[in-house]
This record gives sequence, C-alpha cells and structure tokens, in this order.
Amino acid sequence: MRRDPVVIIVVAMVVSVMLIAGVYKSRRSPDQIPAGPSLKGQLAPDFALQSLDGKTVHLSDFRGKAVLLNFWATWCQPCKIEMPWFADLQKQYAAEGLQVIGIAMDEASPEDIGKFAKDLGVNYPVLVGKEAVGDAYGGVQFLPATFYIGRDGKVVDKVFGLKGRGEIESAIKKALAQGQAVQAQK
Amino acid sequence: MILISASNYLCRRAMRFPQKLATNLLLLTCLAVTQDIPGKRIPSVSMSPPPLITITRGKRGTVDLHFRVDAGFHINSNTPKSEFLIPTVLKLTAPTDIVVGKVIYPHGEQMSFPFAPEEKLSVYSGVFILGVVVRPLVSVVPGKYAFHGQLKYQACDKAACYPPKQLPVDFQVKIAKGSTAHKKNPGQSPHVHK
Repeated sequence: MRRDPVVIIVVAMVVSVMLIAGVYKSRRSPDQIPAGPSLKGQLAPDFALQSLDGKTVHLSDFRGKAVLLNFWATWCQPCKIEMPWFADLQKQYAAEGLQVIGIAMDEASPEDIGKFAKDLGVNYPVLVGKEAVGDAYGGVQFLPATFYIGRDGKVVDKVFGLKGRGEIESAIKKALAQGQAVQAQK
Repeated sequence: MILISASNYLCRRAMRFPQKLATNLLLLTCLAVTQDIPGKRIPSVSMSPPPLITITRGKRGTVDLHFRVDAGFHINSNTPKSEFLIPTVLKLTAPTDIVVGKVIYPHGEQMSFPFAPEEKLSVYSGVFILGVVVRPLVSVVPGKYAFHGQLKYQACDKAACYPPKQLPVDFQVKIAKGSTAHKKNPGQSPHVHK
C-alpha cells in the first residue's frame, strides 16, 4: 500500500499538537500535585529529627555513607510492602556503606510507630517526621517517597510511590557508587 | 475558502487512512500512561448536593449523602481491616433541637491491590452513600435548617497513599409541622397551675 506523505505529515502534526495540549493541560490541571524543586544532583537538605528513642539525628551524621531516605506512614499500605525489603537491603549492603533511614510522617505516637516498624522487621533508624523536613525535600505529598543520597551527600535519585525491589536495589547501587571517588581521595 | 477546501481534502484523505486508528490508539496509550503515574493527581472526594428532604418534627428521617471518589483512587471504609488505617468518618454538627443520630456507613468493598495482591482491604471507590439519621424535636420551629460537617478520609491509588483530608459537608433539611400534631390537654400542661 502506498503511503500518502501529506496524510502522514498531517497525522504526525495532529498527534504532536494533541500531546502538547495534553501535557499543557495536565500541567495546568488544578488537581495536579505541584512539582517541588528538583533535588537531583544537589546536596540533600540536612535535618535534625528525633528518633523513636528520643535521640536527635542529623542527616549529616551519615556523610560518607550512601543513604536511602524513606518517607512513610503507618496508614500507608504500599509503604508496608517495601519496608521489609529495605530491612533486607540494609543487611545486604551495610558493609558497603548503605544506611537506610525511615521518616514517619505520621500523627501516630512514637510507641505505635515503633510497634508498626518492629512488626515489619525494621532494623534501621526510624525518625519522627516534621512537615518542614518534607517541605525541604520538595513537599512530600504522597507516600512512600524515597530519596537516594550518595556518599557525597548529593541526591542521586528520588522515587515516589511503590517500586519493585529490583528498582530499589539498582538505585541503592547508584547511591553507593556516587561520591565513591571523592571518598577514595580523602 | 482555500483553508476550508484544504482541510476538507485532508480530512477525506485522513479518513481513508488506516493509520488513523493506530494514531488514536497511540494517543490513548500515552494518556493512559500519564494517568497511571502515581501521585500525578491529587485524589479527591466530592459530594453531590442532596435533594431537600422533609422530616416531620418529632419523627426520625434519613438523609442520604452521595459521595464520589475520583477514578483510580480508593479510600478506607469506615471499618478498615487494620488499626493503623484511617477510617472514613463523617462528623456533623446539628442546629439546636435537632438530633443527628447515627451515620449509616456502607460495607466496604473487599479489594486487593497490586501492592499487596494477597491482602484484601475494605475500601470505598466510585460512588458511596452515607445515611444520616436526623430527628427534630417537637419543639423545633418548622423551616429549613442547615447542617455542617466534615468527611475525613484518606486516599490511596495502586502505588501511593495521600495524607488524610477533610471534605466540608453541607446540606439542608426541611422540618415540617406534621399533620398529626397532638393536642395538649390543658389540664396536664406543666405551665398550668391551679
């Protein structure tokens, strides 16, 4: 069958216009989540948060390690799926310099948060979140939200929503590799 | 004129072209992919304005409130299966001398989601109806009365969850005098003193 170039061009133009219009509309949509500042490649904002046992923990305490920073809540069912994976991956990559940190964006009491985390086998520090910290990370408007931070303290990747274990592990490897050269020079 | 002729020509050509279907499919796929990205949209629950219900004073009536959860989202039912999940709860304040009785919540749909295929959650999705039992006391002056409140809910999609939200709930009820108002026996009235 002979393809008419005029029709192909017109179809391509129509598709392009509709796609651009769709993207524009979705950006303008009033119920869309506003995009926060992109943190990729930037220094992860430092914070001071209380751990469940009342200690003050700073992100900067973990400089030199790759950090998986996971925002979660007890009311978030998808968060429950990945937390045991994080616990496994913490064990698996601890020797290579991984530190998983959970930040509970919750109104539940620290006791309830602790019980919830313990039931899921969490073996990493869980901190009681504050809205200001969420805002510093671009406004964590839904959970789970996970930031992968390299050894140099820079954000390597950010992932919103539940992802597969394989994707999480790949991002951990990227974070472990990030800043390794800097580390070696020191 | 030239433009109209040109567009007619192109339309006739395009209509004959079998790639039109493929193009439409491609476009739909693109849109579907955009819609499926978790967190791309903020979930919302809306309430349809209920019709004005008339309730006779001294008697009980039920007002049905119709809520709609945005497509692609679900919210926990009033009785979620875990103590940590946030139930959907309607809280109302009533005008003086009108008693708001219990809120009748529907049973949640037992649904499983890709994030936990083996676990069933009790949720509302699409349209769900809450019944509000209202009983005006006999002392209420007939007329229209406004009820205000909030529906607290917490929504998720198939890969992410959103912080709890509150939807303002407002509706009116007409209180009628009723045709069978009993006549007081003047002799038994507490205001009558012999």
